[in-house]
Amino acid sequence: MQLRLPDLSEGAEDAVITLWHAGETDRVIKGKDLVEVTTDKATFDIPVPCDGILVKIFKKKGEKVKTGEDMAEIQEDRS
Amino acid sequence: MWAISRNTAALRMFFRKDTVKICDLGIVGYEDALHFQDRLLRRRIEKKAPDTLIMVEHDPVVTLGRLAERNSIIDGDYFERTGIPVVPSGRGGKITYHSPGQLVLYPIVDLGEKKRDIAFYIDFLEKTVSRGLNRLGVPAGRVREKRGVWIRGKKIAFIGIAVKRWVTFHGVAVNINNDITPFSYMHPCGERDIRVTSAKEWAGREIDMNTARKVFAGQFEKDFRDEYAEPASKRGIDDNAVKIA
Repeated sequence: MQLRLPDLSEGAEDAVITLWHAGETDRVIKGKDLVEVTTDKATFDIPVPCDGILVKIFKKKGEKVKTGEDMAEIQEDRS
Repeated sequence: MWAISRNTAALRMFFRKDTVKICDLGIVGYEDALHFQDRLLRRRIEKKAPDTLIMVEHDPVVTLGRLAERNSIIDGDYFERTGIPVVPSGRGGKITYHSPGQLVLYPIVDLGEKKRDIAFYIDFLEKTVSRGLNRLGVPAGRVREKRGVWIRGKKIAFIGIAVKRWVTFHGVAVNINNDITPFSYMHPCGERDIRVTSAKEWAGREIDMNTARKVFAGQFEKDFRDEYAEPASKRGIDDNAVKIA
């Protein structure tokens, strides 16, 4: 499952990744904070969308990300 | 939960049937106010608390937002000499200064049920603060391409917010009667050559803080009701906070 930057504002600007709460290969739990992005005057926390393993981070801390762009890949637990 | 205020006379909560509850903490330290925000934020996310406007004045402190740069402080010795702590903050924005006489508004409001647009929310904060200052006789307003609230090229209010599960925290600081000298030892909001003012400096006299509190509380309630009364479902907004493929 790809985690993408949500639409934070109409005509959205870029955001910057300012904090990853987990690293690659970490187990992540649905609903917990996963990544913080920051625009000019706001930080925005994005939660883990599903239980699983964070297999890949595409955007590291300090990198810019655009709306809809992939930030990470999560391998979802099989039920 | 309420024992953090040393100024108990100023501790007030108004339970009304209005759209926003007003919570006045008086003068409290930055960290204490942050803990209070965190607790209320979690309760708001869990739908166990209503939309609330926290009003507070802080003990002197410099705060560094997520995007603050190391060279934002011009004279670090000044802050060491004066004993003003410099602390990191999880809000957006860069560097700013708080002290008694500055009114800080921390709205803990759920945008997820309303309009999910951070830029729109920041615009809203700027407009409501501008109107509040106007009602105090200070002709402040917004400036194109710049964030914050301004008067004749000087900045009078500073914005730095955070959003979790579409519930807001942190907010806007408005210079009313506070000493603005410490701003000259930093680049406020990371902007060089910025000039800072206060309502007191503009008016040439002290502004009654209780009057200011009432004005900003009333203005926020009215503007929030006007801008956000309509639920998200009626605006055709997707309920998914995060788009996942």
